[in-house]
Amino acid sequence: MSRFFRQAGDSDSDTEESDEELLTSGDEDAAAPKAAAKPAMSRFLRTAGSDSSSSDSESSDEDESEMSDEEPTQKKKSRFMRGDSDEDSEDEDVKRVVKSTKDKRLEEIEATGKVMDNGLKINDWVAISNEFDKLLRLVQRQSNAAEPLPPFFVKTLLSLEDSLNAALMKEKEAKKKMNATNARALNSMKQKVRKTAKEFEKEVQQYQNDPEAFEREFTAHAQPADVVAPKPKKPKKSADSESDGEPVLDDRFTTVGKGGKAMSFSADNIFKTLKLVHEARGKKNTDRGEQIRILEKLLEVAVTSYQRIRILLALVSSRFDYNSSITSYMPTDLWLSAQHEVDELISIVVADSSYAVQEDTEDYDELVERHPATESDGVVRIRGSIISFVDRLDDEFTKSLQNIDPHGTEYVDRLKDEKVLYRTISRSQAFYEQTSQPEPLARVIMRRLEHIYSKPDAVVSALESSLASSEITPSVTLASSATTSSLIHSLCVHLYKADNSLLRTRAMLSHIYHHALHNDFYTARDMLLMSHLQESIHSADVATQILYNRTVVQLGLCAFRCGLIKEAQATLQDIFTTQRVKELLAQGVHQQRFQQQLTPEQEKAERSRQLPFHMHINTELLEAAFLVSSMLVEVPLLASIESEEQKRKAISKPFRRLLDFADRQVFTGPPESTRDHIMQASKALQDGEWEKCRDLIQSIKIWSLMPEVVSVKEMLAKRIQEQGLRTYLFTYAPYYSTLSLSLLSRTFSLPLRSVTSMISKMIWNEELSASLDQSTGVVVFHRIEHSRPQQLAQVIADKVSALLEQNEKVLDIKLGGSGGWGDRTGDKGEKRGEQTQERRGRGDRTRGSLRGGPRGRGSRFAQGLGNQMTRVR
Amino acid sequence: MAEYDLSKTIIPYLDRHLAFPLLAHLVETSLFPVEQVQAAQYELAKGTNMLDYAVSLFEQLHPDEEIPEEFSGKREKAVSTNERLQLEAQAVLDVIENPDVAQALRQDKNQNLQYLKDNYNLTLEQITALYNFGQFQYTYGNYSGAADYLYHFRVLSTDNDLNTSAHWGKLASDILTGKWETALEELNTLRDVVDSRSPSTLLTASAEPAALTQLHSRTWLVHWSLFVYFNHPQGRTLLLETFLSPTYLNTIQTSSPWILRYIATAAILSRKSAAGGSAASSRVRHSIREIVKVIQTEEYQYQDPVTSFLKELYVEFDFEAAQRELTLADRVVGDDFFLGEFREEFLDNARYLISEAYCRIHQRIDIGDLSERLNLSRDEGEKWIVNLIRETRMGAEAKIDLEKNVIEIHRSPLPIYQSVIEKTRGLAFRTQALGTGMLHSPQQPQQSQPQPAVVEGAP
Repeated sequence: MSRFFRQAGDSDSDTEESDEELLTSGDEDAAAPKAAAKPAMSRFLRTAGSDSSSSDSESSDEDESEMSDEEPTQKKKSRFMRGDSDEDSEDEDVKRVVKSTKDKRLEEIEATGKVMDNGLKINDWVAISNEFDKLLRLVQRQSNAAEPLPPFFVKTLLSLEDSLNAALMKEKEAKKKMNATNARALNSMKQKVRKTAKEFEKEVQQYQNDPEAFEREFTAHAQPADVVAPKPKKPKKSADSESDGEPVLDDRFTTVGKGGKAMSFSADNIFKTLKLVHEARGKKNTDRGEQIRILEKLLEVAVTSYQRIRILLALVSSRFDYNSSITSYMPTDLWLSAQHEVDELISIVVADSSYAVQEDTEDYDELVERHPATESDGVVRIRGSIISFVDRLDDEFTKSLQNIDPHGTEYVDRLKDEKVLYRTISRSQAFYEQTSQPEPLARVIMRRLEHIYSKPDAVVSALESSLASSEITPSVTLASSATTSSLIHSLCVHLYKADNSLLRTRAMLSHIYHHALHNDFYTARDMLLMSHLQESIHSADVATQILYNRTVVQLGLCAFRCGLIKEAQATLQDIFTTQRVKELLAQGVHQQRFQQQLTPEQEKAERSRQLPFHMHINTELLEAAFLVSSMLVEVPLLASIESEEQKRKAISKPFRRLLDFADRQVFTGPPESTRDHIMQASKALQDGEWEKCRDLIQSIKIWSLMPEVVSVKEMLAKRIQEQGLRTYLFTYAPYYSTLSLSLLSRTFSLPLRSVTSMISKMIWNEELSASLDQSTGVVVFHRIEHSRPQQLAQVIADKVSALLEQNEKVLDIKLGGSGGWGDRTGDKGEKRGEQTQERRGRGDRTRGSLRGGPRGRGSRFAQGLGNQMTRVR
Repeated sequence: MAEYDLSKTIIPYLDRHLAFPLLAHLVETSLFPVEQVQAAQYELAKGTNMLDYAVSLFEQLHPDEEIPEEFSGKREKAVSTNERLQLEAQAVLDVIENPDVAQALRQDKNQNLQYLKDNYNLTLEQITALYNFGQFQYTYGNYSGAADYLYHFRVLSTDNDLNTSAHWGKLASDILTGKWETALEELNTLRDVVDSRSPSTLLTASAEPAALTQLHSRTWLVHWSLFVYFNHPQGRTLLLETFLSPTYLNTIQTSSPWILRYIATAAILSRKSAAGGSAASSRVRHSIREIVKVIQTEEYQYQDPVTSFLKELYVEFDFEAAQRELTLADRVVGDDFFLGEFREEFLDNARYLISEAYCRIHQRIDIGDLSERLNLSRDEGEKWIVNLIRETRMGAEAKIDLEKNVIEIHRSPLPIYQSVIEKTRGLAFRTQALGTGMLHSPQQPQQSQPQPAVVEGAP
């Protein structure tokens, strides 16, 4: 065996040369791969042979891997040049380039030798070591270029060996003459030199035998090398193969891929090339940019649909591969071309139904061209997945938006790409509709829905307008369904029928969100309640939970816009009690608190979940809406209750906290922030100064972000008048025995009739102990003063019942379950009543319903969902 | 008033035959052009086997035209089918009507079947003939006969689907023959069947989810029961009991909010029992309060004069508007098929409600003003008020001052001891229950607590 190796090694230079001739002779197409393969093999074998003779394998391995690390940079450089030359195929150019590199290299080698000589003189082994490394690299490159070893190198090597030995001897004799680094360098030099000497044993021997002849041979070789076109890059095999430990076959192909030259961009060899690219994919040393270029070129020459599809599939994947890091996003230009190619892919598949791209196919020979005619059922099935491309495109788009500064123009520019993306998604939807593949269709519809559900009508129609130019359109478009709501409705309906429950949930939430956005509060609320989502959302994935939170918040805003203050307050309450609004809406990352630290992974995951800026719900507006509705609910309530104990039970904690804080402040300046405005307005409302309150609330700037500002402001003014009246009555009732209705109506600028109506309501609900005197038009207050024992009796009665309730609660918890013994107690009917009330009072007690305990609500909403489905069908 | 007519909304939820009375009523009220209603009647009758009726309708509609050929053919076919089915059914009937058999039959249906099979060679298929014949009789309008056959069939058959279907058929037959007592029984059993929630027993056991089918059944039941509840003497109370129970209220809210009109009317009508009777359950007593809440929540879906009357009265306390709505509601009730008979009673009770609310809120009321609120003349108003004071518990508090022409109402505040008693009333009993609960309840698996709506886990 070793004989064979040796032989191959001996004939090395000859075969190489002949190969070169072969290549340059222009017969690139057929011969190239074969030719490339052969020398590569022999080279590998040779070095393997030489390696087997080396005794010190460990250290040499190290060095070699170092060398191999160097390789790519060199190679890249040279490949680029050659790439040019390939295209130009002008010999003159080539020659010039080659010559200069070669000369340069020789010069460099000599220069290095000189520096080493200098180093020897001053005994600076560190410098020598460095220079030697450099020299080795150069020689490496030299041999990569398949040029014979320059005699100079051998000479240097020999002299080095001598001086090394001398130095070591000296070192032994004279102790402590060298410092530590120098000594170490010396030692490593010794090893290096020994290894190199072994490597080039043959040449060294040749040289030693006959230095003249060696030199002659070199110069003789240099001459023809000038004429010959650049040799295909044959990297030094030993390094690669040994360090990677790849099988021979694989290695061969990799080599060719790297060589680039071997790639032939013709229709015939497309599949082979494609396969090579495929195999190189994902490897450590693969240059992704180069792969993309190769594929692009392949695409240019591809003729048949089959070829085009195959190449496009590979090309799009390699574009996505380009960026390996999870955190950074795909460059925009790459993204755009990927988008374009996906479009093209869809067009091809749509235009010719005899080609199908599927995730599961039967095995087929990748190297053979296929036609519909040759397939058993007339359809060529190709392995691949368009839906995953679309998914990936969308994800990359989102990722880029997450990473771009939202306040710059770049962001806006990037947003413009949404239109083409939307077009691609819609086209793929049309494609899946055509080929009736339910599963990817549902996914792609979901993607489409996600692009439009939270957008105002104008934006949706802008996105939709891009569809008109497409040659295929999905079954549902804005043009066909007239309004965005019906568009979204029909998209959602399709998803409701899907098997995938996650998609159903998300579709439902998006649908609700859309309704809420369009001020359709009742529909949105009913859908949310009927979907039962509040019970199961805790087990959903984080993205869906975020969507749920967004939906709930949007519902609250919707209620606010519609003037349903109580509902708005109740809906927004939950999210504001957590004090993590931004985080829960995925609009900002977790704030580090001292007790819980996030690991970097968690933080990364959280960042990747953030919504792009243009999807954000303005939190300041949200807070304003919440605080204002809290104010309108809370202030009259505060006025109506007297005892401290009851006050503690008040509804909105966040609002109360702020109000207390504002109360404690000694000096209050003019309001600046939204909160300041609302706090001062609350105080004004408490004092009965509704006009001041109204002015303060209306001067909040953030309202301008809300659609229909004017009507919202008017609504608020009206609510403030009403609640002002209620607060006034609660606060000042003890100090009056009668109050004129007309005076009240004048003070609060409300019509007499609504004043009467409001007071009547308060009397009827027993909030106010008073009655109306019709003939004189006054409200008469019945103030009852209780004596001390009476008060105390009442207090103790309250406390006793509170105690009992506590006990019951404790027992409930202990026995586990609310339905347990409690039903047997006397207040059975009452409890039931409460439950039904809660269910019925959805309107004014949305909070209760939204909080949705597991019990009691079952049947209605189970049905409700069913009903939803009927409506939907 | 046509815009408040619910016939069109309700008919889709009724059986073809049940729709006839409704249409007949429409002819009487002349809300719609008579020809149109007749055309509708004709279309309806064409689909049934009541061919003679259809022909007569056709003649009314097109007096000048020939009667279409198809009728005679259909008639013959119907007659022959009738004979064939009758023969088949007769065989079974002969066996069943045999007194020996009647005695031998037991509760257990399977045993009965076995018995019949062994002794009289009667199979399930033959029994099904009863069902077929009953159904056929129903299609040509012989409701009492249909009711009989379906009853017999149900006693014997074990087929759940057909049994349920027979249930519906029997209910419809009873309604159409006007046997309200039996219809009520039938209604209650049917309700149990529907509520028992086993999907196979429901009318349309199909691929649709069980909950949806149940919702459909309930909606139908709600509509059919209107016939019973507004004709049976106890009907209104029962209606409140049923419709205000959570399941049916939910059904109404989700699928048929217009039923609110009937609940509202029933609630107003049962005011008297609410005011005085201790027999009525709490649900009926508080029916008005409950229904007002529902009306408020469903306002966006449905409103008509009856519901807005209650809303104006109890939510807005706008007595003028309430009075206006009452005038409208009066006419709506008068025109309604189900409510027509209760017009007077409705008006009466509605007035009571207004005056009650009015008196509770006001301290001094001008009699003339109140009479006006009630759409009454001054003298009538005075009489009315006196009656009101006498009937309600306001007696001690309200006095009429004829000199000033006002009613003075002095409501003494609730004495403190009473509120204390009220609060402490149940305490002893509840404590006792607590004790027994502690002793007897074994450790049960922990049930999850209600969770907050906002997802904490989503950072």
